[in-house]
Amino acid sequence: MKLEHRSNELTHEELYFARHSSGLGVYIIPKKDYSAAYAILGTRYGSVDSEFVVPGETQTTAVPDGIAHYLEHKMFDMPDGSNVFDKFSKLGGNANAYTSFNITAYLVSATDNINENIAVLMDYVQRPYFTEESVQKEQGIIGQEINMYDDNGGWKVFFNFLNCLYQNHPVKKEIAGTVESISHITHDYLYKCYNTFYNLSNMSIVVVGNVDPQQTAQVIEDNILKNEPFEEEIKKLYPNEPEEIASPCSQQSLSVAMPLFMLGFKDTDTGFGGDKLLKKNIEITILMRMLFGKSSKMYKELYEAGLINNSFSLDYTMQPDYGFSSIDGESPDPEKVYQAVLDTIAEARRSGLCEESFNRIKKVVWGSYIRSLNDVDTYANAFLQHLFMGIDYFDYASVYDSVTFEDVKKRFENHFRADRSALSVINPTD
Amino acid sequence: MQETAINQNITLKLIPMTKLKTTTIGIYIHRPLTKKEASLNALLPSVLKRGCRLCPDTEAIAAYLEDLYGATLASTVIKRGDDHIMHFDLETISDKYALGGEKLCASLTRLMLSILFEPNVRDGEFDAQIVEQEKNNAKDKISALKNDKRSYASSRCMEEMCEGESFAISRLGTAEGIDEITPRSLYLHYKNIITSSPIDIYVCGEADAEALAAAVREYISGLEFSTPTLPQTQILKKSDAEKKDVTERMDVTQGKLAIGFRTNTAPTDADYSALLVLNSLYGGGAHSKLFNNVREKLSLAYYASSQLEKFKGLLVVNAGIEFKNEKLAYDESLAQLEEIRRANISEQEFSSSINDILNSLNSYYDDPRYLQNFYLSQHIAGTNRDIEYVKEQIKNVTVDDVVEVSKKLELDTVYFLAGKEEN
Repeated sequence: MKLEHRSNELTHEELYFARHSSGLGVYIIPKKDYSAAYAILGTRYGSVDSEFVVPGETQTTAVPDGIAHYLEHKMFDMPDGSNVFDKFSKLGGNANAYTSFNITAYLVSATDNINENIAVLMDYVQRPYFTEESVQKEQGIIGQEINMYDDNGGWKVFFNFLNCLYQNHPVKKEIAGTVESISHITHDYLYKCYNTFYNLSNMSIVVVGNVDPQQTAQVIEDNILKNEPFEEEIKKLYPNEPEEIASPCSQQSLSVAMPLFMLGFKDTDTGFGGDKLLKKNIEITILMRMLFGKSSKMYKELYEAGLINNSFSLDYTMQPDYGFSSIDGESPDPEKVYQAVLDTIAEARRSGLCEESFNRIKKVVWGSYIRSLNDVDTYANAFLQHLFMGIDYFDYASVYDSVTFEDVKKRFENHFRADRSALSVINPTD
Repeated sequence: MQETAINQNITLKLIPMTKLKTTTIGIYIHRPLTKKEASLNALLPSVLKRGCRLCPDTEAIAAYLEDLYGATLASTVIKRGDDHIMHFDLETISDKYALGGEKLCASLTRLMLSILFEPNVRDGEFDAQIVEQEKNNAKDKISALKNDKRSYASSRCMEEMCEGESFAISRLGTAEGIDEITPRSLYLHYKNIITSSPIDIYVCGEADAEALAAAVREYISGLEFSTPTLPQTQILKKSDAEKKDVTERMDVTQGKLAIGFRTNTAPTDADYSALLVLNSLYGGGAHSKLFNNVREKLSLAYYASSQLEKFKGLLVVNAGIEFKNEKLAYDESLAQLEEIRRANISEQEFSSSINDILNSLNSYYDDPRYLQNFYLSQHIAGTNRDIEYVKEQIKNVTVDDVVEVSKKLELDTVYFLAGKEEN
C-alpha cells in the first residue's frame, strides 16, 4: 500500500492517504508534538439503513430498527468469551464506539502503544461473534439505554422535531430503536448486516496524532483479514420523502424545569454530496448566524425579554439525502420564539441582508474549522464524517473561499420557508 | 508553566503550547463557598459579560468576537471543595491562522480585561434591567439542574452527605439568595471581590507573556488591592454516623441510584494516589468492577460508574437502572467493593486501572482546558505537583495500597431517584 502525501500551507497540516486493495480507505494525519493519537474505523452504515440490497443479490433485505446500534454493542464480544475492552485496557488504550444516523464508528485513543492499539481495533472490528445467548443478553443493557433517552428532554425534543419534518425518511426514528423493535433482532440478522456493511470497501480508517504515517499504515495493512471488496455498491433503500413536512408542531410533557424547544426548516434542496454540499452548509451556517445569532437584532430582543437564555443555539445538519436547520433552547414561551424567527425572515425578505454582517460572520466559519483541527478526536471525527459525504475536509479552504454574499442571498431565498418549518416543545409535567 | 505575579492577588500562568491551533485564557476568581455570597458569586459573571467600556452591550461583544474569527467567551461558576470559583473561559484561533493577519490574542485580551475591570456602572450600581434579566436566568439555571437526571442524582447525594456543611451549598446559589440581590448590592460585591480575591489567569497556547503582563498592569493601575486568602477545604469526617437513605420521586422512566462514601483521604495524604487507582478500578471505565459486573454480567444498567470529589473526600457510585432493580444494583455495587477489600483483584484489572489513569494524564498535555484544570486543582489542594510527578506516584501504587485505602471508605448516603408512586 503506497501512501500519497498532501500538505496544507494555511493550516500547517499534513495528510497521508491510500486506498488498500480490500477497498479500505486509509487516512493518516500526523501531529508530532501531541502526546495522544486517535484512530477511528468507520463504516457507511447507520440507523437509517434498515432496507438494502446486498451486492450480488436481487432481493431487498429489511431488518428491525435499531440494528446498526445493536450490532455496534455486540462487536465488543470476542469468540473466546473475552471482552475486547480488556485488550485495549492492557495496552492503555481508551476504546469506544458510536452509531449515528449514517455512520457506525469504532475508536481508540492512546498515548502509548498506539500501533498495538490500532492493531486490536482493526482485528476486533473484523471478527464478529454473535450467539443467540449473547444477543439476548444485550437486550437488558440497550433497554436501559433507551429508557435513559426517554427521560432526556434534549433528546426527545430533537426526535419529535424530526418527526414533524419528515413523513417517511428513517432519520425520524430513534437510533437505538425501541424496546419492541430490538426484541426482533437475532444473530442471523446481525451477521447479514455485518457481512454487508462491514465489507472493507464500505469502510475507512482515520488516524490523527503522534504517529509515524508509514509505520501506522503498515500496521493497518498487516491487520487486514479479508481482501474481498464488493464490486458493486450496496444499494440503500429509503422511502420517498415528499417536500412537505409531516406536521408543523409537536408537544410532549416530561420532567423538565422550563419548556425546551427545537424549531427549524426542512431542507428540500438535497440529493448531492461533495463540495456542493459543504458549500450549502457554509451558506446556511452563515445565514443562521446573521439572522438569529448573538449579534442579531432578534437575539437581543428575545434575550432582553427573557424569552431565550444562554442555552439558545443554532445548527445545520447536512447529509446528501436530507438536511435541516435547527434552533433550540429553553423558553417560557416557545411559540413567541418561533414567531420571532418567522418575523425575522419576513423582515429580511423586505429589507435585504447586510453585507457587512456577512463578511464578519463568514470569518467565524473559518475559526470553527481551524478550531476543529485542535483535538485529535474532534479532527478525526470531522474528517471521517465529511469523507463519507464526499467532502475533502483537508482542503476546506477552497470551498470556504468560494462562498460569496450573492450565494448566501440566493440560499436565503429558498431555504427559510415558513411552510417547511416546524416547532417541537417539551413542556414541564408540573 | 511560566508564572508572573502581577501583585499579591493576580497571578498570570502561561503554559506555552505552540502545537495548538488556539490560545485559551482561563480566569479563576477564588471565593470561599458560603451561604452569604454563593448567589452573588453565581450571578456576577453573567452580569459582567453583558457589557464593558470596550463593548457597551451584548451585541457589541458578539460582533467583536465574530470579527476575531468567532472567538469565544463563556462564564460559569464552579466549586472545588469549599472554593467557589467564578470562571471566564476565552478562546481564539492563534494569530498565525488569521487569514488577514489580525492580532487576535491581543484583541481578545483587551476584551477580557475590560470585562473584568471596566464594567458598565452608573451611580454606584449595575444596570437595573440587566441585573433583573440575569437574576431570572440564574434562577432558571438552578431549576434546570434537575433536567440532567444523572448529574442531578449524583449532586443530590453529595448534598445529603454534606448536610450542614458549606459543601452542601449549590455552586449556583439559591433562588431566595438570587431574589435578594439588588443592582447596588451586586456592584458592592464586585468592588469588594475584585481587589480582595486570589485571581489566577491561565493562558495556554501562543502568547507573549510580557505583553500580557503589561496589559494587566495597565488595567489595574488605579485599583487598591488587599491581601487575599485561598479558600481551604477539610475532607468530610463523621464519627458513628448512621447510613442515610434518601428517596426522591419524579416523573421519570429510569431510576438513578447514587451511593455516597466518605473516602477519609485528602489530596495531601500519602495514600491519595492509591485512592485514585481504587476509583479507577472500582468504577472508572470499561475495565472497572462496576462496569463488568453491574452492567456486563448482570445487565442491570447502561452506565454504572464511580466518581471522586477529591477535595471533600467523597466517592459516589452512579447507575441508571429499572426501579425494581434498586436493591440488586445496590447489593452488587457493595459486593464489588467487598471484592476489592478482599484483594480479589486480577492483574488485568489492576494494570488497566493504572494504565487508564496514566493515559488520561498524558492526554492532558494536548488539551488546554484539561491542563488548566489539572494545575488549578493542584494549586487549590496545595499539592502543586506536575503531571510527571503524579504519573510516578501512580506507577508506585501497589495492590496492597489499593486494598488498604478501600478499607477506609465508609458508606454514608444512599440516594435513589424513583418514579411517581403509580409507576
